[in-house]
Amino acid sequence: MPVAPAYLDNAATTAVDPRVAALMAQCLTAEGTFGNASSTHVYGREAAARIATARREVAAVIGARPEEIVFTSGATEASNLALLGTARANADRRHHLVTSRTEHHATLDPLRQLEREGWAVTRLTPDGEGRVSAEAVRAALRPDTLLVSIMHVNNETGVVQDVAAIGAVCRAAGVLFHADLAQSIGKLPTAQIADRIDFGSFTAHKIHGPKGIGALYVAAAARPWIAPIVHGGGQERGLRSGTLPTHQIVGFGRAAALAASEGAADAGRMRALRTLLWNGLAALPRVYPNSPLEDGSPAILNVAFAGVEGESLVTALTDIAVSTGSACSSASGEPSYVLRALGRTAELAQSSLRFSFGRDTQVVDVERAIAAVRAAVTRLREVAP
Amino acid sequence: MNGTRSKHGAAVAGFSPATLDAFFALAHAGNLPGGVDILTGEAGREATGTRVRFTLRVAGDCVVEARFQAYGCPHTLAVANWIAGVLPGRRLEALVPGTPAEWAGRFEVPAPKLGRLLVIEDALRDCVAKWRGGDHGRAVRRTMAP
Repeated sequence: MPVAPAYLDNAATTAVDPRVAALMAQCLTAEGTFGNASSTHVYGREAAARIATARREVAAVIGARPEEIVFTSGATEASNLALLGTARANADRRHHLVTSRTEHHATLDPLRQLEREGWAVTRLTPDGEGRVSAEAVRAALRPDTLLVSIMHVNNETGVVQDVAAIGAVCRAAGVLFHADLAQSIGKLPTAQIADRIDFGSFTAHKIHGPKGIGALYVAAAARPWIAPIVHGGGQERGLRSGTLPTHQIVGFGRAAALAASEGAADAGRMRALRTLLWNGLAALPRVYPNSPLEDGSPAILNVAFAGVEGESLVTALTDIAVSTGSACSSASGEPSYVLRALGRTAELAQSSLRFSFGRDTQVVDVERAIAAVRAAVTRLREVAP
Repeated sequence: MNGTRSKHGAAVAGFSPATLDAFFALAHAGNLPGGVDILTGEAGREATGTRVRFTLRVAGDCVVEARFQAYGCPHTLAVANWIAGVLPGRRLEALVPGTPAEWAGRFEVPAPKLGRLLVIEDALRDCVAKWRGGDHGRAVRRTMAP
């Protein structure tokens, strides 16, 4: 029987932890907690109780209070709610927003939409490793700045932003601060992060929970500054209407609890795997890290292989599942805007792979990756002019 | 796992079996030893994602042997490999075997990637232009006798 490819694409998504799946299965069938949490009968109350438990677990992983958690369909919707919801609630008072050029599309695209609606957006260029300094944020602020949105951990490179310092700058200036936390939960210490931000987007499927469920942290003090973008039944204290998906929320809660209790151990293991992988790949000539090796996320290693086209490299790697740093598989031929913003040449950006680790990643997966990448890079370089 | 499965056992979404079979074999990749009977043509840049070079051994106006080198996506490598395989026996004045659109059909190349096949065509046209311009073997001779 063929061996499944080693999965090293956990920044894209993770497998659901069996402990999470088991809990979710209790909330689906007639024998389980299938009720609508808005109902007042016993089925509804049972669902509401389980959701309340999950809300506490999700809140705890970032140091928030349960009532500050708004469940959404994922981090993308959460970021849309933070950005569109604050902008539209304050369009008569403020007209300027600040972000960086290396944010996820879940941030960049809503901001582009707000530009079409008349908002001014400043996009900061990070330094060569991808960092946006608090000083650069401070310099970008204007009297009419409403909000700054900077992600905690970049999803392509794993660079970690100093959200504490940026949050302090924003707080001192009376500006709201939104952070995309999708790649940091369970990989970095986040138990105090709610104190440093006003809004935080995150999702279950990056932490071995189910897809289709995420959350926006809305600090109690920031609640008056945000309005809903989805209207309906008034769930989530009016900020996000729609029947709450009990099984997904329960799964999210369990995944968050596991991230809180096991995250430090997971991160230590991932950091060792990352070092092992880098040492193995660096034996090849003309290999360059796009990730900060010392203080980046332990879960992400982005590497450029000079002289090798990214899509061919990924296709040749049938023994492992990784992500190309470029968008060339979409046929555009355009290299990663994140790597380009860091000053990488188009060739190197196009020749980059992102390896990302999860709770299930083993040493043998990394060893398979090293062998497969070495063979593929050597072969493709031999074929190149 | 979803995706197309080629005879090489690779299952990769977005590629036809013909593309994958060619990509994993690349039987016509490589170079040819220099000489006065060698003609090279190339096009594209790594910076834009595609660069292709053909090296032909010619006798008179006929290709007797062909190899390719390429930096590019799997479709690019697969098509260039196929072309290098069908060039022997072709006359230089009719060197290009079909059109990029026909190659795209053979390998099920998505329409947005057609530009990459144009780079392959340009590399073949560069061979023809050098033959017509009398560059046949000149670069090699310069290298061999500085």
